[in-house]
Amino acid sequence: MGHLSGEHLYEIFARQKREERLEHIGTVSAPNAALARAYAWQTYDVQKWFEMVVAPREAFEAVNRDEEPFTLSPAEAR
Amino acid sequence: MSSIDSAGFRTADDVPQEMRGDLAALLLSLADNKRLLGMRYAEWLLGAPTLEAGIACSAMAQDEWGHSRILYAMLKDFGEDPGRLEHQREADEYLNSELLDDPPGEWTGLVALNFLLDAALSVQFESLKDSRFEPLHYKVRKVLEEERFHFEHGRGWLARMAQTPAGREALEEALTPAWHTCLRWFGAPDGGLVARLAEAGISDARPDELRARWLERVGPIVREAGLGLAERDESGAWNSAAELDWSDWDGSRRRSGGGAVNAETLAGVRGDRNRAMLMD
Repeated sequence: MGHLSGEHLYEIFARQKREERLEHIGTVSAPNAALARAYAWQTYDVQKWFEMVVAPREAFEAVNRDEEPFTLSPAEAR
Repeated sequence: MSSIDSAGFRTADDVPQEMRGDLAALLLSLADNKRLLGMRYAEWLLGAPTLEAGIACSAMAQDEWGHSRILYAMLKDFGEDPGRLEHQREADEYLNSELLDDPPGEWTGLVALNFLLDAALSVQFESLKDSRFEPLHYKVRKVLEEERFHFEHGRGWLARMAQTPAGREALEEALTPAWHTCLRWFGAPDGGLVARLAEAGISDARPDELRARWLERVGPIVREAGLGLAERDESGAWNSAAELDWSDWDGSRRRSGGGAVNAETLAGVRGDRNRAMLMD
Protein backbone atom coordinates (compact mmCIF):
# COMPACT_ATOMS: atom_id res chain seq x y z
CA MET A 1 0.00 0.00 0.00
CA GLY A 2 1.96 3.00 -1.18
CA HIS A 3 1.10 6.62 -0.83
CA LEU A 4 -1.25 8.21 -3.28
CA SER A 5 -0.06 11.40 -4.85
CA GLY A 6 -0.94 14.52 -2.88
CA GLU A 7 -0.45 12.85 0.48
CA HIS A 8 1.11 14.73 3.38
CA LEU A 9 2.44 13.62 6.72
CA TYR A 10 0.55 14.92 9.72
CA GLU A 11 2.03 14.81 13.21
CA ILE A 12 -0.35 13.81 16.00
CA PHE A 13 -0.22 15.21 19.52
CA ALA A 14 -2.50 14.14 22.35
CA ARG A 15 -3.07 14.11 26.07
CA GLN A 16 -5.22 11.81 28.16
CA LYS A 17 -5.89 14.20 31.02
CA ARG A 18 -6.52 17.92 31.21
CA GLU A 19 -3.52 18.42 33.49
CA GLU A 20 -1.12 16.61 31.17
CA ARG A 21 0.87 18.17 28.36
CA LEU A 22 0.31 17.32 24.75
CA GLU A 23 2.73 14.65 23.64
CA HIS A 24 3.76 13.57 20.19
CA ILE A 25 2.13 10.17 19.75
CA GLY A 26 2.57 9.42 16.07
CA THR A 27 2.19 10.30 12.42
CA VAL A 28 -0.41 9.68 9.73
CA SER A 29 -0.34 10.16 6.01
CA ALA A 30 -3.36 11.92 4.56
CA PRO A 31 -4.26 14.15 1.59
CA ASN A 32 -6.04 16.77 3.70
CA ALA A 33 -6.76 17.85 7.25
CA ALA A 34 -10.20 16.22 7.42
CA LEU A 35 -8.75 12.81 6.62
CA ALA A 36 -5.78 13.44 8.91
CA ARG A 37 -8.21 14.06 11.78
CA ALA A 38 -10.25 10.95 10.98
CA TYR A 39 -7.19 8.72 10.55
CA ALA A 40 -5.48 10.02 13.68
CA TRP A 41 -8.55 9.45 15.84
CA GLN A 42 -9.35 6.06 14.37
CA THR A 43 -5.78 4.77 14.39
CA TYR A 44 -4.80 5.85 17.89
CA ASP A 45 -8.01 4.70 19.50
CA VAL A 46 -6.71 2.46 22.28
CA GLN A 47 -6.55 5.29 24.82
CA LYS A 48 -9.33 7.65 25.73
CA TRP A 49 -8.00 11.10 24.84
CA PHE A 50 -8.89 14.37 26.48
CA GLU A 51 -7.41 16.20 23.50
CA MET A 52 -5.90 15.27 20.18
CA VAL A 53 -4.54 17.68 17.57
CA VAL A 54 -2.80 17.22 14.23
CA ALA A 55 -0.51 19.46 12.22
CA PRO A 56 1.14 18.99 8.84
CA ARG A 57 4.82 18.14 9.21
CA GLU A 58 5.65 21.03 6.84
CA ALA A 59 4.39 23.41 9.50
CA PHE A 60 7.30 22.57 11.81
CA GLU A 61 10.48 24.62 11.78
CA ALA A 62 13.74 22.99 12.75
CA VAL A 63 15.29 24.96 15.59
CA ASN A 64 18.68 23.42 16.30
CA ARG A 65 19.25 20.64 13.78
CA ASP A 66 19.95 20.77 10.09
CA GLU A 67 17.82 17.69 9.38
CA GLU A 68 14.12 17.88 8.60
CA PRO A 69 11.95 17.92 11.75
CA PHE A 70 10.86 14.48 13.01
CA THR A 71 13.57 12.69 11.00
CA LEU A 72 16.50 10.80 12.37
CA SER A 73 20.03 11.94 11.70
CA PRO A 74 22.09 9.54 9.56
CA ALA A 75 23.85 8.30 12.69
CA GLU A 76 20.60 7.59 14.55
CA ALA A 77 19.06 5.83 11.59
CA ARG A 78 21.82 3.23 11.40
CA MET B 1 -45.95 22.31 20.23
CA SER B 2 -46.95 24.06 23.44
CA SER B 3 -50.16 22.11 23.73
CA ILE B 4 -48.26 18.82 23.92
CA ASP B 5 -47.60 17.39 27.32
CA SER B 6 -43.81 17.15 27.17
CA ALA B 7 -43.19 14.98 30.21
CA GLY B 8 -40.34 12.51 29.70
CA PHE B 9 -40.62 8.74 29.44
CA ARG B 10 -38.10 6.88 31.55
CA THR B 11 -38.82 3.42 30.16
CA ALA B 12 -40.53 1.92 27.14
CA ASP B 13 -43.50 1.08 29.35
CA ASP B 14 -44.03 4.79 30.02
CA VAL B 15 -44.38 5.51 26.30
CA PRO B 16 -48.08 5.72 25.38
CA GLN B 17 -49.25 2.77 23.37
CA GLU B 18 -50.00 4.84 20.26
CA MET B 19 -46.36 6.06 20.03
CA ARG B 20 -44.66 2.86 21.05
CA GLY B 21 -44.90 1.07 17.70
CA ASP B 22 -43.53 4.07 15.81
CA LEU B 23 -40.64 4.52 18.23
CA ALA B 24 -39.75 0.82 18.03
CA ALA B 25 -39.86 1.01 14.22
CA LEU B 26 -37.55 4.04 14.24
CA LEU B 27 -35.05 2.29 16.51
CA LEU B 28 -35.17 -0.83 14.36
CA SER B 29 -34.68 1.22 11.19
CA LEU B 30 -31.61 2.90 12.67
CA ALA B 31 -30.29 -0.43 13.97
CA ASP B 32 -30.73 -2.21 10.64
CA ASN B 33 -29.14 0.58 8.64
CA LYS B 34 -26.20 0.72 10.98
CA ARG B 35 -25.76 -3.03 11.01
CA LEU B 36 -25.66 -3.17 7.21
CA LEU B 37 -23.56 -0.03 6.85
CA GLY B 38 -21.05 -1.64 9.21
CA MET B 39 -20.92 -4.60 6.87
CA ARG B 40 -20.23 -2.30 3.92
CA TYR B 41 -17.39 -0.59 5.79
CA ALA B 42 -15.97 -3.97 6.76
CA GLU B 43 -15.85 -5.02 3.11
CA TRP B 44 -13.16 -2.35 2.54
CA LEU B 45 -11.00 -3.28 5.49
CA LEU B 46 -8.57 -4.77 3.03
CA GLY B 47 -8.27 -3.25 -0.41
CA ALA B 48 -9.11 0.36 0.42
CA PRO B 49 -7.09 2.92 -1.59
CA THR B 50 -4.69 3.48 1.32
CA LEU B 51 -3.76 1.54 4.42
CA GLU B 52 -5.09 4.38 6.57
CA ALA B 53 -8.47 4.24 4.83
CA GLY B 54 -8.63 0.49 5.53
CA ILE B 55 -7.96 1.12 9.21
CA ALA B 56 -10.64 3.81 9.22
CA CYS B 57 -13.12 1.39 7.62
CA SER B 58 -12.33 -1.17 10.28
CA ALA B 59 -12.95 1.40 13.02
CA MET B 60 -16.17 2.62 11.40
CA ALA B 61 -17.42 -0.95 10.93
CA GLN B 62 -16.88 -1.62 14.63
CA ASP B 63 -18.59 1.65 15.56
CA GLU B 64 -21.64 0.84 13.44
CA TRP B 65 -21.97 -2.66 14.85
CA GLY B 66 -21.65 -1.25 18.34
CA HIS B 67 -24.40 1.29 17.65
CA SER B 68 -26.70 -1.31 16.14
CA ARG B 69 -26.16 -3.66 19.06
CA ILE B 70 -27.16 -0.92 21.51
CA LEU B 71 -30.33 -0.27 19.51
CA TYR B 72 -31.30 -3.94 19.18
CA ALA B 73 -30.79 -4.34 22.93
CA MET B 74 -33.06 -1.34 23.59
CA LEU B 75 -35.85 -3.02 21.65
CA LYS B 76 -36.07 -5.71 24.33
CA ASP B 77 -38.07 -3.25 26.43
CA PHE B 78 -40.48 -2.93 23.53
CA GLY B 79 -41.23 -6.65 23.67
CA GLU B 80 -38.78 -7.67 20.95
CA ASP B 81 -36.26 -10.49 21.25
CA PRO B 82 -32.88 -8.93 20.32
CA GLY B 83 -31.49 -12.37 19.47
CA ARG B 84 -34.21 -12.88 16.90
CA LEU B 85 -33.76 -9.36 15.53
CA GLU B 86 -30.04 -9.88 15.09
CA HIS B 87 -29.93 -13.45 13.86
CA GLN B 88 -33.25 -14.76 12.64
CA ARG B 89 -34.98 -12.31 10.36
CA GLU B 90 -35.54 -12.61 6.64
CA ALA B 91 -34.23 -10.00 4.21
CA ASP B 92 -37.61 -8.30 3.72
CA GLU B 93 -37.95 -7.79 7.49
CA TYR B 94 -34.90 -5.50 7.52
CA LEU B 95 -35.77 -1.81 7.50
CA ASN B 96 -32.67 -0.79 5.56
CA SER B 97 -32.17 1.84 2.90
CA GLU B 98 -32.00 0.44 -0.61
CA LEU B 99 -28.49 1.92 -0.79
CA LEU B 100 -27.34 -0.93 1.43
CA ASP B 101 -28.96 -3.81 -0.48
CA ASP B 102 -25.80 -4.57 -2.46
CA PRO B 103 -22.12 -3.86 -1.86
CA PRO B 104 -20.86 -0.79 -3.70
CA GLY B 105 -18.47 -2.06 -6.35
CA GLU B 106 -16.26 1.02 -6.25
CA TRP B 107 -14.60 3.06 -3.55
CA THR B 108 -16.67 6.07 -4.68
CA GLY B 109 -19.78 4.07 -3.78
CA LEU B 110 -18.43 3.52 -0.28
CA VAL B 111 -17.65 7.24 -0.04
CA ALA B 112 -21.28 7.94 -0.98
CA LEU B 113 -22.50 5.68 1.83
CA ASN B 114 -19.99 7.18 4.25
CA PHE B 115 -20.57 10.82 3.41
CA LEU B 116 -24.28 10.85 2.57
CA LEU B 117 -26.07 7.92 4.21
CA ASP B 118 -24.03 7.81 7.42
CA ALA B 119 -24.67 11.54 7.78
CA ALA B 120 -28.40 11.01 7.20
CA LEU B 121 -28.47 8.44 10.00
CA SER B 122 -26.62 10.88 12.25
CA VAL B 123 -29.10 13.67 11.48
CA GLN B 124 -31.93 11.34 12.48
CA PHE B 125 -30.01 10.37 15.64
CA GLU B 126 -29.40 13.99 16.50
CA SER B 127 -33.15 14.63 16.41
CA LEU B 128 -33.42 12.22 19.35
CA LYS B 129 -30.82 13.74 21.64
CA ASP B 130 -33.41 15.57 23.75
CA SER B 131 -36.12 13.01 23.14
CA ARG B 132 -38.96 12.52 25.56
CA PHE B 133 -37.81 8.91 25.51
CA GLU B 134 -35.02 9.48 28.01
CA PRO B 135 -33.07 6.20 27.64
CA LEU B 136 -31.87 7.59 24.30
CA HIS B 137 -30.11 10.66 25.68
CA TYR B 138 -26.75 9.24 26.70
CA LYS B 139 -26.67 6.69 23.90
CA VAL B 140 -27.33 9.25 21.20
CA ARG B 141 -24.50 11.45 22.47
CA LYS B 142 -22.10 8.51 22.47
CA VAL B 143 -23.08 7.57 18.92
CA LEU B 144 -22.70 11.14 17.66
CA GLU B 145 -19.26 11.48 19.24
CA GLU B 146 -18.03 8.57 17.15
CA GLU B 147 -19.92 9.63 14.06
CA ARG B 148 -18.06 12.91 13.98
CA PHE B 149 -15.05 11.07 12.61
CA HIS B 150 -17.09 9.11 10.09
CA PHE B 151 -18.17 12.45 8.70
CA GLU B 152 -14.60 13.75 8.61
CA HIS B 153 -13.58 10.62 6.76
CA GLY B 154 -16.31 11.03 4.15
CA ARG B 155 -15.67 14.71 3.62
CA GLY B 156 -11.92 14.13 3.43
CA TRP B 157 -12.32 11.54 0.68
CA LEU B 158 -14.77 13.72 -1.17
CA ALA B 159 -12.26 16.56 -1.21
CA ARG B 160 -9.43 14.20 -2.14
CA MET B 161 -11.24 12.66 -5.10
CA ALA B 162 -12.73 15.90 -6.34
CA GLN B 163 -9.27 17.23 -7.16
CA THR B 164 -9.33 15.80 -10.66
CA PRO B 165 -12.04 15.97 -13.36
CA ALA B 166 -12.13 12.16 -13.56
CA GLY B 167 -12.52 11.92 -9.79
CA ARG B 168 -15.33 14.47 -9.81
CA GLU B 169 -17.13 12.56 -12.53
CA ALA B 170 -16.84 9.27 -10.64
CA LEU B 171 -18.05 10.94 -7.46
CA GLU B 172 -21.01 12.51 -9.17
CA GLU B 173 -22.01 9.17 -10.62
CA ALA B 174 -21.86 7.52 -7.19
CA LEU B 175 -23.38 10.37 -5.23
CA THR B 176 -26.35 11.25 -7.43
CA PRO B 177 -28.53 8.20 -6.70
CA ALA B 178 -27.47 8.21 -3.04
CA TRP B 179 -28.32 11.92 -2.81
CA HIS B 180 -31.95 11.39 -3.75
CA THR B 181 -32.31 8.20 -1.76
CA CYS B 182 -31.01 9.90 1.39
CA LEU B 183 -33.35 12.87 0.95
CA ARG B 184 -36.27 10.49 0.57
CA TRP B 185 -35.17 8.34 3.51
CA PHE B 186 -36.28 11.05 5.95
CA GLY B 187 -39.84 10.28 4.90
CA ALA B 188 -42.79 11.83 3.10
CA PRO B 189 -43.47 15.45 4.12
CA ASP B 190 -46.90 14.64 5.51
CA GLY B 191 -47.70 11.69 7.68
CA GLY B 192 -45.47 8.70 8.25
CA LEU B 193 -43.78 7.61 11.42
CA VAL B 194 -41.01 10.24 11.35
CA ALA B 195 -43.61 13.00 11.29
CA ARG B 196 -45.73 11.35 13.99
CA LEU B 197 -42.72 10.92 16.27
CA ALA B 198 -41.86 14.59 15.84
CA GLU B 199 -45.39 15.57 16.75
CA ALA B 200 -45.19 13.36 19.83
CA GLY B 201 -41.94 14.97 20.98
CA ILE B 202 -39.99 11.75 20.63
CA SER B 203 -37.83 13.47 18.03
CA ASP B 204 -37.43 17.19 17.42
CA ALA B 205 -37.79 17.34 13.64
CA ARG B 206 -40.29 16.46 10.96
CA PRO B 207 -39.06 14.99 7.65
CA ASP B 208 -38.63 18.33 5.87
CA GLU B 209 -36.65 19.74 8.78
CA LEU B 210 -34.43 16.63 8.82
CA ARG B 211 -33.84 17.08 5.08
CA ALA B 212 -32.92 20.72 5.65
CA ARG B 213 -30.46 19.77 8.40
CA TRP B 214 -28.85 17.11 6.26
CA LEU B 215 -28.55 19.45 3.28
CA GLU B 216 -27.02 22.09 5.50
CA ARG B 217 -24.39 19.58 6.56
CA VAL B 218 -23.49 17.91 3.27
CA GLY B 219 -24.54 20.62 0.78
CA PRO B 220 -21.71 23.11 1.27
CA ILE B 221 -19.06 20.38 1.12
CA VAL B 222 -20.52 18.87 -2.03
CA ARG B 223 -20.65 22.32 -3.59
CA GLU B 224 -17.09 23.09 -2.55
CA ALA B 225 -16.02 19.84 -4.21
CA GLY B 226 -17.47 21.24 -7.43
CA LEU B 227 -20.10 18.56 -7.92
CA GLY B 228 -23.08 19.50 -10.07
CA LEU B 229 -25.27 17.72 -7.60
CA ALA B 230 -25.48 20.68 -5.26
CA GLU B 231 -25.77 23.42 -7.88
CA ARG B 232 -29.47 22.98 -8.27
CA ASP B 233 -29.89 23.84 -4.61
CA GLU B 234 -28.24 27.21 -4.92
CA SER B 235 -31.54 28.84 -5.85
CA GLY B 236 -32.20 29.49 -2.20
CA ALA B 237 -33.91 26.96 0.01
CA TRP B 238 -31.74 23.88 0.29
CA ASN B 239 -34.80 21.72 0.56
CA SER B 240 -35.37 19.75 -2.62
CA ALA B 241 -38.14 17.52 -1.33
CA ALA B 242 -40.42 18.65 -4.14
CA GLU B 243 -38.22 16.87 -6.66
CA LEU B 244 -38.40 13.54 -4.90
CA ASP B 245 -40.25 10.65 -6.48
CA TRP B 246 -42.50 8.89 -3.98
CA SER B 247 -44.14 6.47 -6.42
CA ASP B 248 -42.38 3.33 -5.12
CA TRP B 249 -41.95 4.51 -1.51
CA ASP B 250 -42.69 2.00 1.23
CA GLY B 251 -43.18 4.18 4.31
CA SER B 252 -43.10 1.31 6.79
CA ARG B 253 -39.60 0.26 5.67
CA ARG B 254 -38.46 3.77 4.67
CA ARG B 255 -37.28 2.59 1.27
CA SER B 256 -38.41 1.58 -2.21
CA GLY B 257 -40.91 -1.23 -2.07
CA GLY B 258 -40.10 -4.79 -3.07
CA GLY B 259 -36.32 -4.85 -2.75
CA ALA B 260 -34.22 -6.18 0.10
CA VAL B 261 -30.65 -6.80 1.17
CA ASN B 262 -28.88 -9.48 -0.88
CA ALA B 263 -28.54 -13.06 0.38
CA GLU B 264 -24.80 -13.01 0.97
CA THR B 265 -24.90 -9.83 3.03
CA LEU B 266 -27.89 -11.15 4.96
CA ALA B 267 -26.01 -14.34 5.84
CA GLY B 268 -23.09 -12.20 7.01
CA VAL B 269 -25.05 -9.81 9.22
CA ARG B 270 -27.14 -12.61 10.71
CA GLY B 271 -24.05 -14.64 11.47
CA ASP B 272 -25.39 -17.70 9.65
CA ARG B 273 -22.00 -19.42 9.80
CA ASN B 274 -22.18 -19.31 13.59
CA ARG B 275 -25.67 -20.70 13.83
CA ALA B 276 -24.49 -23.91 15.55
CA MET B 277 -23.13 -21.81 18.42
CA LEU B 278 -26.31 -19.76 18.72
CA MET B 279 -28.25 -22.93 19.56
CA ASP B 280 -26.46 -23.22 22.90
